[in-house]
Amino acid sequence: MQRALRTGLSYHDFDVHAVGSGEEAVREAAAWRPDVILLDLGLPGMDGFATLKALRPATRGAVIVVSVMPDEKDKVRALDAGADDYVVKPFGTEELVARIRAVLRRQADVTAGEPIIRSGDLAIDIGRRSVTVDGKLVRLTPTEYELLRFLALHAGKPVTHTTLLRQVWGDYAIGDTYNTRYVVAQIRKKLGDDPANPRYIVNEPGVGYRLEG
Amino acid sequence: MRRLAPHAIAVGGVIGITAAIGLITSRAPVQGLSALYLLLVLWLAARWGRWPAVVGSIGAFVLYDFYFVPPVGTFSVRGTAELLELVVLLAVALVTSQLASSLRRTRATAEALARESRALYELATEALRSSEVTVALSMLCGRATELRCVDRFALVAVEYGLPSPLAGSELSAAELKQAGWSHENGRSVGIAVRGGAVTLMRTHPGATETAYLPLASGVAVMGMDADLAGPDELRMLAALIGLADLLLDRRRVAFESERARGLESSDRLKTAILSSLSHEFKSPIASLRTGLTALAAPQAGLKPDQRELLVDLDRQATRLDRMVGDLLALSRLEAGLELEREAQSFADLVAGATRGLRTELAANKLAVELPDDLPLVQVDEVQAGRVLANLLENAHEWAPPNGVIEVGAAPRGGVLEAWVENEGPPIAIGDLDRVFDTFWTRRARGSGLGLAICKRVVEAHGGTIRAENRRRGPRFTFTFPLAPVPSVPDS
Repeated sequence: MQRALRTGLSYHDFDVHAVGSGEEAVREAAAWRPDVILLDLGLPGMDGFATLKALRPATRGAVIVVSVMPDEKDKVRALDAGADDYVVKPFGTEELVARIRAVLRRQADVTAGEPIIRSGDLAIDIGRRSVTVDGKLVRLTPTEYELLRFLALHAGKPVTHTTLLRQVWGDYAIGDTYNTRYVVAQIRKKLGDDPANPRYIVNEPGVGYRLEG
Repeated sequence: MRRLAPHAIAVGGVIGITAAIGLITSRAPVQGLSALYLLLVLWLAARWGRWPAVVGSIGAFVLYDFYFVPPVGTFSVRGTAELLELVVLLAVALVTSQLASSLRRTRATAEALARESRALYELATEALRSSEVTVALSMLCGRATELRCVDRFALVAVEYGLPSPLAGSELSAAELKQAGWSHENGRSVGIAVRGGAVTLMRTHPGATETAYLPLASGVAVMGMDADLAGPDELRMLAALIGLADLLLDRRRVAFESERARGLESSDRLKTAILSSLSHEFKSPIASLRTGLTALAAPQAGLKPDQRELLVDLDRQATRLDRMVGDLLALSRLEAGLELEREAQSFADLVAGATRGLRTELAANKLAVELPDDLPLVQVDEVQAGRVLANLLENAHEWAPPNGVIEVGAAPRGGVLEAWVENEGPPIAIGDLDRVFDTFWTRRARGSGLGLAICKRVVEAHGGTIRAENRRRGPRFTFTFPLAPVPSVPDS
């Protein structure tokens, strides 16, 4: 798997450095300063989640979690523990490359401190609290705007239901996904988005929502 | 000896008072001193009961008559006045003693009750405090055998119809069997408890008999001697039986929660096995796909026909992956693992399923017709998503190239009714039900798992699924429960 990945990624002009364990990864990440770290949760020795926690202070590089577990709870846990994205094995090389590129693009945006976040023809102006689709102003309720703003601030990254509920409603609402589902449906309606084939807010099954970057 | 003492006191008291009256009247003529006897009789009746008081009153009459009623020194009773005096004295003695003794009896009963409830209270707190119910039950059996009418007391647990001794006296095999019968048929033997009162029934007079009383989760077996059973004893016995009933029930509840914990941990075990299995199956497929797709990249420098071969191999690996996923999903359903139901948007489920199948569905025209105000459904997102993915994949398999696959949904009678329809050939009438059978398939290449999983997931959510032939082609219609609307909807 590691050899196949290294070969596949090198074809796309990535400089790949592979290590065999969590401890090694934390050490190497500090010394080698990678832009993106692919972290397999099923590691020998140090547990994947422990590695994820240890990696965060050691590096500013984005972490994409790779897992064979079909369990959505692991994805949520990984995102809550600071992962930027996840891919479930098995995946094709193009899919992985697309994810890596998206994460890198997002990193660049964050560094640039762009005040207007765009997703296709949707634009969210954080400074002026305005939302436009194709230049036309969209009127949102405060709750709808808060949810969209939070997704926009993490554009491209899956945001868990728990995080959304905590940020937009408060701790008391955690666990009540009726809120997020209902408000996202309202936002989509106002943005003119097709929920069965959304352009802007994409559902991440078992995890939450993601604003297309 | 103790029974004679009050009488002696009565006699002594009468003699004492006679002496006192004699002493007083020898100094000064005082009338009505005979009332002193009355005092004594009152005291005797109140303190000792009827007979000492009667002895006292007769003694008083005799002595008074002898010493003070003229002619002094004789026992002569003359005239009705003196007779009346005797009658009054006796009547006072009897009435007072009656009153006093009934008062004493009431007090004794109250004290006995207080003692009993105190003993019961202590036993109950002790029993409920001890962590092991069996210890508490043994204590209770010990307390029961302290009753004079109970010579053995044992508690039998009945689990899965099998009686087993739990606490108290030893029981013979025949007695155990009888206890089992008693519990099974809910019939008591030799004893009846009605409204907290115990009644003993006996068949052989004068012998100790074994009584059986079925309780909620066990049987009380008692060796009883009905002759020794006073009302106080029976009351205590009833209370003890009540407590035993309570404790046995507590034991059963503890037992059941223990078993529930066992089931829960077996659920965890199943989940662990399934995820380890999926790891074992999926890891090699993952390596395959990563390698194949890496080599299929133009940068790898392979010839077009070689790349085409690799792309086809990757498609096969993807298919294999999906089949392994189906098998694991089926075993998950078979294992009866809990669904994680939450409010979900049906459109999100459709979007998720179509995204996972975008390569396949590119060959078809997908028409999703969902009303804007479709209510949310209460489903396990991953499992419900699998229903849609499997139905869409099935539709893709059967639809002609560029054929339309239609997805629709509408609320109907408190549920969401949804359907997936394709323009493929109709399903034979006789096969409309069989398409959902596990491993049954209409094609040589099919695994026979996809639709079987759909049926199980839908039914696990309390819904129904059916196949029918519409004018355009086969349609699969299924239902999902609607999500309860929160009482305070968001503004």
